[in-house]
This record gives sequence, C-alpha cells and structure tokens, in this order.
Amino acid sequence: MLKPKNIAAAMMALALSGALAGAATAQDGEPQSGGTLNVVMQPEPPGLMLGLIQNAPTQMVSGDIFESLMRYNFDLSPEPQLAESWEISDDGKTYTFKLRQGVVFHDGEPFTSEDAKWSMDVFLRENNTRTRTYLEHVESIETPDDHTLVFNLKQPFGPFLGIFEAGTAPMLPKHIYDTDDHANNPANNKPIGTGPFKFKEWSKGSYIHFVKNEDYYMDGLPYIDEVYYHIIPDAASRAVAYETGKVDLLPGGAVENFDVPRIRDMDNTCMTEKGFEYFAPHSWMWVNLNNPPLDDVKVRRAMMHALDRDFARDALWNGLGKVATGPVSSATKFYDADTPDIGYDPEKAKALLAESSYNGETIRLLGMPYGETWTRWAEAVKQNLIEIGMNVETIPSDVAGWNQKIADRDFDLAFTYIYQYGDPALGVSRTYMGDNAEPGSPWNNVANYQNAEMDKLWDEAALMADPEARAVAYKTIQDQIVSDVPNLWLLELGFPTIYRCNIKNPVNTAFGVNDGFRFVWIDQD
Amino acid sequence: MRDFWKRFRYNRGAVIGLVILAIVILAAILAPVLFPQSPWKMVQRPFLPPFTQDGLPLGTDALGRDVLSGLAHGAYVSLLVGLVSTIVALAIGVPVGACAGYFAGRVDDALMRFTEFFQTIPSFALAIVLLAIFQPSLTFVIIAIAVVSWPPVARLVRGEVLSLRTREFVEAATLSGLGNTQIILRHILPNALPPIIVLASLMIAQAILLESSLSFLGLGDPNIMSWGYMIGAARTVIRTAWWLSFLPGMAILLTVLALNLIGEGLNDALNPRLTRKSE
Amino acid sequence: MQHEYGADNLTRFILGRLVKAVFILLAILVFNFLLIHAAPGDPAAVMAGEAGAADEKFLADLRTRFGLDQPLYVQLWIYIKGAVQLDLGFSFRQQMPVADLIADRLPATLLLTGVAFVLSLVLGVIAGVAASARQGSWGDTVISTLALLFYATPLFWVALMASLVFSVWLGWLPGFGYSSIGAGYTGLAHVLDVAKHLILPATTLGLFFTAIYMRMTRASMLEVSRLDFVKTARAKGLRRGVIQRRHILRNALLPVITLAGLQAGQIFGGAILTETVFAWPGIGRLMFEAINQRDYNVILGVFYISAAMVLLFNLITDVVYVIVDPRIRLTT
Repeated sequence: MLKPKNIAAAMMALALSGALAGAATAQDGEPQSGGTLNVVMQPEPPGLMLGLIQNAPTQMVSGDIFESLMRYNFDLSPEPQLAESWEISDDGKTYTFKLRQGVVFHDGEPFTSEDAKWSMDVFLRENNTRTRTYLEHVESIETPDDHTLVFNLKQPFGPFLGIFEAGTAPMLPKHIYDTDDHANNPANNKPIGTGPFKFKEWSKGSYIHFVKNEDYYMDGLPYIDEVYYHIIPDAASRAVAYETGKVDLLPGGAVENFDVPRIRDMDNTCMTEKGFEYFAPHSWMWVNLNNPPLDDVKVRRAMMHALDRDFARDALWNGLGKVATGPVSSATKFYDADTPDIGYDPEKAKALLAESSYNGETIRLLGMPYGETWTRWAEAVKQNLIEIGMNVETIPSDVAGWNQKIADRDFDLAFTYIYQYGDPALGVSRTYMGDNAEPGSPWNNVANYQNAEMDKLWDEAALMADPEARAVAYKTIQDQIVSDVPNLWLLELGFPTIYRCNIKNPVNTAFGVNDGFRFVWIDQD
Repeated sequence: MRDFWKRFRYNRGAVIGLVILAIVILAAILAPVLFPQSPWKMVQRPFLPPFTQDGLPLGTDALGRDVLSGLAHGAYVSLLVGLVSTIVALAIGVPVGACAGYFAGRVDDALMRFTEFFQTIPSFALAIVLLAIFQPSLTFVIIAIAVVSWPPVARLVRGEVLSLRTREFVEAATLSGLGNTQIILRHILPNALPPIIVLASLMIAQAILLESSLSFLGLGDPNIMSWGYMIGAARTVIRTAWWLSFLPGMAILLTVLALNLIGEGLNDALNPRLTRKSE
Repeated sequence: MQHEYGADNLTRFILGRLVKAVFILLAILVFNFLLIHAAPGDPAAVMAGEAGAADEKFLADLRTRFGLDQPLYVQLWIYIKGAVQLDLGFSFRQQMPVADLIADRLPATLLLTGVAFVLSLVLGVIAGVAASARQGSWGDTVISTLALLFYATPLFWVALMASLVFSVWLGWLPGFGYSSIGAGYTGLAHVLDVAKHLILPATTLGLFFTAIYMRMTRASMLEVSRLDFVKTARAKGLRRGVIQRRHILRNALLPVITLAGLQAGQIFGGAILTETVFAWPGIGRLMFEAINQRDYNVILGVFYISAAMVLLFNLITDVVYVIVDPRIRLTT
C-alpha cells in the first residue's frame, strides 16, 4: 500500500517521464509540419471564453486556446502541461506546482503564478460553478515566486489532482480579465490563452478559424498551420461534409450513430473510441422515487431487468460503448466490476413485477431531445417495458422543456447522461447524495435517492488521501446502490472520433479532441 | 344528387382521387385488424429491405418495426388530423367570415383586421411556436393546425356572404322579421356552402401536409405513428435505407393528391357554371 | 388612359398602407411576446444546463443579467421600446445582439426565398400561359398533371429526395450548405459556388409555388379569355398572339399578383423546412433552433422581421397591382 509520501514521489516520477508521452508513436513515422485541419462542430457555441462558458462545443474548440496545469492520460494519470512538476505534502493538504518557464499568452505577455492564482481564486470561483465547488476545499493559494503555485487545502481532498484540466481550471490572462464585468469583456470575442493555436476569425453560422501559435512554448509544436471548425447544423450534412472531403475529422457525437458504419467503412478512414475517459459519459434513466409505485424496489428491479441494453448498444450505438453495471463508469477511478447482476432477463422482470406493488399505472417516460438516436432509444425502452406488462407513455419535449421537466421532477422515468470527471467524488456522488436532491436543478440527485449511510460514506471517501481506502469505500457504495436501483443504468456511451488515417494522433489524452491539436500532424505524402 | 354524381364522375381525375382516398380510408380502418400489434413493436432485425421476408412485405425500420404496419396506422392519424383540424378551422373561420360579411362596416373592419393579422404571421412558424408552448400531443397538433388555417375560410365566407346578403331572398327574410342569426344560418350559409365544401377538401389536404411537416421536425405526438414521423425518423438513414423515407412520402403525396383531385371534382360538380378559380 | 388618380394619390395610398402595417407589426410584437412567455421552459435553466452545472446562484445571476427577474409587463415595455428603434435585444444563447444575428442570417434567407419566388413565378406564369393557350391539349395535360403533383408533394420530402438523387447518387450538386467551406473563392468563382449550392434548395422550395402560380395563371387566363373585351378584340381581327399578350395576360396576372403577395409568409414557412434539410444558414433555421432553446429575443426578432418583410411585400404587390391596373380604386 502506497503511503501519501510515496504517492507524491510516484507522481513526480510520472511527471518527469511523461513530457512527450502524447507525441507521435513510432509506427506513424516522422511528424511533418504544415497543413490545415478541417474539423466539424455542432452546435455553434455561444462563445469561446472557456472560463465563462462550459458547454460542449466551447469545450471542444477552446482546448486549442486555453490550457491548464496538466493533461491526463487515458488511464487518468496526470501529465505536465503548464506545470512542470508538482509535489503533495505528506498530510495531503499542500499541493505545490512548479510552473513552466517562458510561457507567454497570445498577446505576448508572460504567464506567471499570479495569473494562475487569480484564475482559480477570483475568476473561476466567480464564474464556474463546478470549479467553485472544488475550491471549497482550498483554504488559500500562495505564489512564493513567479513560477511556484501553492494550494493549501482545509483537509485532504482525494480527487484534487484531477481538476487541473482546461475545462475546469483554464489559466486565463489576469491583465485582460481583471475587470468588473467579466461577461461583457471585449476580449471574450477574441479569446487569449497560452494554447498551441490562436484565434483568428469567427464567421457566425459558418466556421471558426484558428492559426498556429508561432511562439508556442513546446518546441516544434504545433505541427499544423491552421484549424477550421466548420459549423454544420444538420447531422446528415455533417456526414456528407466528411464524405465529400470538406472536413477530415468528426469528433465524437458529430454524426448520427446511424451514419457511423457507412463512414467508418470509407477508404483512408480511422476511428477511435478513446478520448472520453475523463468525461466517461454515463447514461441512465432517472426514476422519480417520489412517485409510487416507483418507490418500490421490486418495480425498479423489474424495469432494470426488462431493458435490453445489448440491443440498444448494437442497434443504436453501433456496438460502441459498454453496458453499464452500476453508477460508476468502468473508465472512472474506483470502478467496481463486481456488483449485483442487473442484466436483461424479461422473465425475471415479469416475475418481479408480479410480486411488486405495480398495478397498471401509466409510467410517463421523458426522452432526451438530442437527436434521433435518443428518440429511437426512448421508443425501444418503452417497448421493453410494455413487453413485461407495464403501461408507458412518452412525454414530448424540446431542449428547454426537457430541462424544465427534469428540474421540476415532472416525469416518472427520464433519460439523461452525465459526465463523471474521472473520479466518483467529482462526477458521481452529486447525483446520489441525499442533501443534493433539491428540485430546481436537472443535474443533481434528481431521483431523490435517500440513504443516510451512503451519504456519510460518500463524504468520507472524498476526503481521504489514501487511494486504497477510497477504493474500499467506493466498493461498499457501489454494491449498495446497485441493489437499491435508484436509477436505471443504461450504457457507458461510446463516442467514436472518426478521421482520415493520414491525420496522426488526433486523440492523445483522456480528453480527446477537447485537449487541442498540439501533437497532431498530417501525413502529406 | 344524381346530377351531382354525374358531374363529379365526368371529372376523371376526381374519380381516381376518390379511389385512392377509398384505399387510404380502408387502410386506416383496417389497420387495427390487419396489424393488431402496435406499430411500435420491434418484430424483426432492423433494416430488413422490402420484399425479402414473408409477413413483412415492406421490411423493417431502424428498430426492426414493421413498415407496412406503420403506414397503415399512419393513414389513420393523417386522416384524423386532416379532418378534425379542418372542422375546427371551419368552426373558427365560418362564424368570423359570416359576421364580417353580414354585418359589414365596423364589425367587418375589425374582424378582417384580426384575420389579416393572422395572415401576416408566417403560419408555419406560428404553428411551431404554438406546439413549443403547448407541447406536442395530438390534440394540440390539431389545434395548432386549425389556428393557422382558418383565415382563408373567413375570407371566403365573408366574400360569399357579402354578395348574398343583398339578394332578394335575404331581404324577404329580413322583412318577415327573422333574427340575424336565423337569417345567416338558414338562408345565407346554405347558399354559401358549395365553395366552402370545395375549400374544406383542399384544407384537409393542406392539413395533412402541415401535420407531416411538423412531425418531420419532431413536433408531432411521440406516442403516435404518423407518416411525417416515419420520414423524419428515416431521414438520418436515407443513404443506407432510402425506401424508409420514400414510402411514407409517397403515401402523403398520393393522399394529398387524391384530396386535391376530389376537391376539383367537387368544384366542377357543385359550381357547374363557374370555371374553377384555384384555391 | 393614364393614371387619373395621379402621383399624390399613390403616395397617400402607400402612406396609409404603411401606417396600417406599423399597427399590425406592433400587435404582432405584443402577441408574440405574450405567446412565447406563456411557454414552459426557462431560458436561464437551458443556459445553465448547457454550462453543465447549475446552482441557484448561477441561475439567479443569469436571470438578473438578462432581465428575466423583472415583471412581465416591464420586460414587454423594454422590449417594445427597443424594437421601435430596431434594437431587438440580446440573444442569451448566442451572446450577441439579435439584430446582428438576424442581419448575419437574413441575406441567405432573402436569397433563397427571393430566387425561389422569382423562379416559381416566372416558371408558373409561363407554364400557365402555355397550358391555357391550348386547353385540353397534350401539353396542357402534362403541365396540369405536373402542377397537381407538385402541389401535393410534401416540401421536406421532395427536398430529401432531391438531395438523395442529385447530390448523393448522381453527385451533380452540393446537397447542403451555402458555399464550399474553406475553399476561399472570391469574385465570380464565389458567386458561382453559391449559385451551385442554391440550385437544390431554391428549386425544391419553389416547386409548390410554381404549381400554385401555374394553376392560377391557367385558370385566370381561361376566365379572362371569355370576357367581353377579348371577344371584341377578336372581332376586330387582332392576331391571337397580340390578344394573348396585350389583353388577356395583363388582366389575368392581377389575381396571380394578389396571390403572390399573400404567399410571402408561406414561402418563409417553407424556408424553415428547406433550410433544415439543406443546412442553409438562414433565419428559418435560426428561428427553429431558437425555439428549441427558448431564446426568446431571437424568436421574437425573427417573427418581427419576417412579419415586416411580409407586410412590405404585400405593400409592393399592392403598388404593382395599382400600376398594372390603373382602374383600381385607391383605398387604404
């Protein structure tokens, strides 16, 4: 068992060895410089200022512009980015980062520990809800010199080293953003960060154009000269754009799942499911535990066994992704594979339903208004439940209505999928903890699962410094929650990134294309 | 009545239309008998092409549902929406038009401004907003369609009533002491009926088109299998399974065509002396 | 026979119509504002949802920032005051003024609807005249049948089928978008590029309207040709072609013009579907997306602008009508 001190040492070693781990591997040949990368995006982001806006398209493009202290490998181990190295004190309460020298923002001003401190302590605390929550564990931030940043924690916080990615903790230029009105800062339209590409132009409704940052601090990087993010609002058109050669990279979720096999089979086309390990999009149906008979665990178990999730994965998700075994994704830390079985078994489902308090009530199912796959999925689930003898009605909804209905708990079953952010304490506990069930938010414990014992364990597990101890706690939690089935878990979604095979290395961290294209190169032969 | 049928029959297109419509109506009525299982039921593997499997002549869709069953159940929905929304539109448009035409003057002005107002708003956009507000259930789809399609009725009825109210038989009725409502209902409207019937048949066709457009955009009732839904759902797979979009589209086309042809036949039969004036 | 009513009358006529149009526009503003605010769904919740995290403070901040915490009548008053000065408010979603957003997208829609309109009017009138010239002939049958078919075809479906056949199967024309992205065309090359992208959307959008104008022209030509003054002209021994052009067509066009004016709103409705299928970056798509997102100000803005365009278009048709037929009485 590793002692905290050993962990710190191990991490140091990792930090020093991994400097270029993400770069080209041998079989790809020598990286070539030059070329233009055409990427598809959808929908048009409301803005590119990552510190203010965290929706998916913003996160996707602005990884080229903004960076954080670290990157994360596919197994979620950290790699240096703006921090060269880091140390954790023995008590797990002090984190010291050595920042890289010679880093400049796109406007030529140097990046210092003062920028880093201000970004975390002032800007993100004010503008990023998620970061604010994490920083509640931080007592103070110090900057002993221009290139040293020290976090003093109130108590050990297990997942702390996992929050320094661009979406959660982007390093912003203080000299530009230290104003009263962050939302209306003119620089929001021309974002300035430290990343490998600079913002050039945004033609609304058409494309966003980035060009190579010539002064980038990593030698010889980036390889490519410019990046175009093409805004193509229609899914079928995005597929055509790839087929006709207008774009060369389709990030996960860019095309409808039905189009994936056809595109995947094209010449010179490669596909990877990697690059979503940090987010680990986990899909499930909220069960409204306030509404009888859904408060009966037998009804919930019956529904769980009624769902043919293998069919859903094969027919709707092209066989990508995995059937979920419980609340934690297998990509997330502390995943426990050994939980009670919740597989497809219609006979068992019927038997359970017969024993339960279900009495023909109509179950109101709310699908996700995010495209055809989700609509079809809701239709399939509805049929699954009808097969075991339940009455199900679909509630129609658009994006706005869906948000509202979930926030108001106006449903019986509701599709959702939520990111896990690498650690159960960051992305899972919030949807199961009893004191986080207030109506009004679609992203908290919507089902209203109440289990005081688990709540206590969640709290303890987050504040442990020792990973082994955390693993034990999370195993207990997972076993208990799976046998309670407060939600109906569906799939660990598999989002394929599709690209021309001569584009090398498009996905090199647990963030996939969101992490920017610093190591990407185009084989022009 | 025999005259009417003779004149209607004279229009060959109208007879063809009637035959097509009869088939569609038959399909709608027989759907629950021929396809007792829900059209949503997943019966076979997805994307079975047409004519490859006994019992599933038109194959299956993206979830392995029977396409032919979907078309038959969809016929019922299309006809229902077309008919009911037209009735509701008439229920709004006829009184508005009749009052405007009969009372003329200020009433006419006010009612016609009201009508004009609804005609100025792009009707399809209004239907979309109405469904966004009420959330798409079958009832609200019908209401939304009715709300955007009554103005032409009002204008037509107003025109007819305007020209009828100065006729002798209306004056006679007025002199005999009949109330306004009585005169409108008993003497004027029956005489204005033929063009209203013709318009109604065309409106059913337009309502079917409108319903399918809304369903295509995902604004239909998600619990109901309709042709527009089938096209919208098949749209993403149009390149691998084009027939899934093609077939329900043909169903809409033929039904709408049939109703239009019948409308023309009705026009010829009901207004024998007039040349048809388009919609 | 010249304009007996004179230029003054025409000006007064136009002014009267303009005043009326302004009142209708105001009514539309109020109506739509109330309608949209009756919708369930809170734009702040949508924004917060997309941000991936929402606590009450975040929501409250958003509501304050966009004035959503004010009473409804205050929001309405602020909105109307702005709209009168063409300030259509701020888009919550897109983080930019609605007027700019619409100005960005409007040209694409105007191009699409304009081309579709002209195309369908020209084709419709030519086909209608041709069909009516030989009523009952083989050509008449073909044209009339085609018109019937086009009139019955669902617009979104024919758009899908056209893109399948001409773009996917035959590869002749681009199936989506406004121009080849990143191609960097300028000058004539750019114009040709856009024109190529425009062919499928404009023809499919125009199909339905071609059918309408054709049928209207045909019916109207046949009706006018039976009127007395045509008989007189024939009796005078004027040549058939001259009668067709000079007498019948001019009079037969009047109802077509009226209809065309009334169809303006319809074409915009069709543009929503066409723009969706062909990913055409116009205001039709903009509005559909805005409705999904409850981006109130954008929805209102697009409604306002499209209603204004429809009214303007009606006014133009009225004026054209007066010019084509000077006998008409000028009333407002």
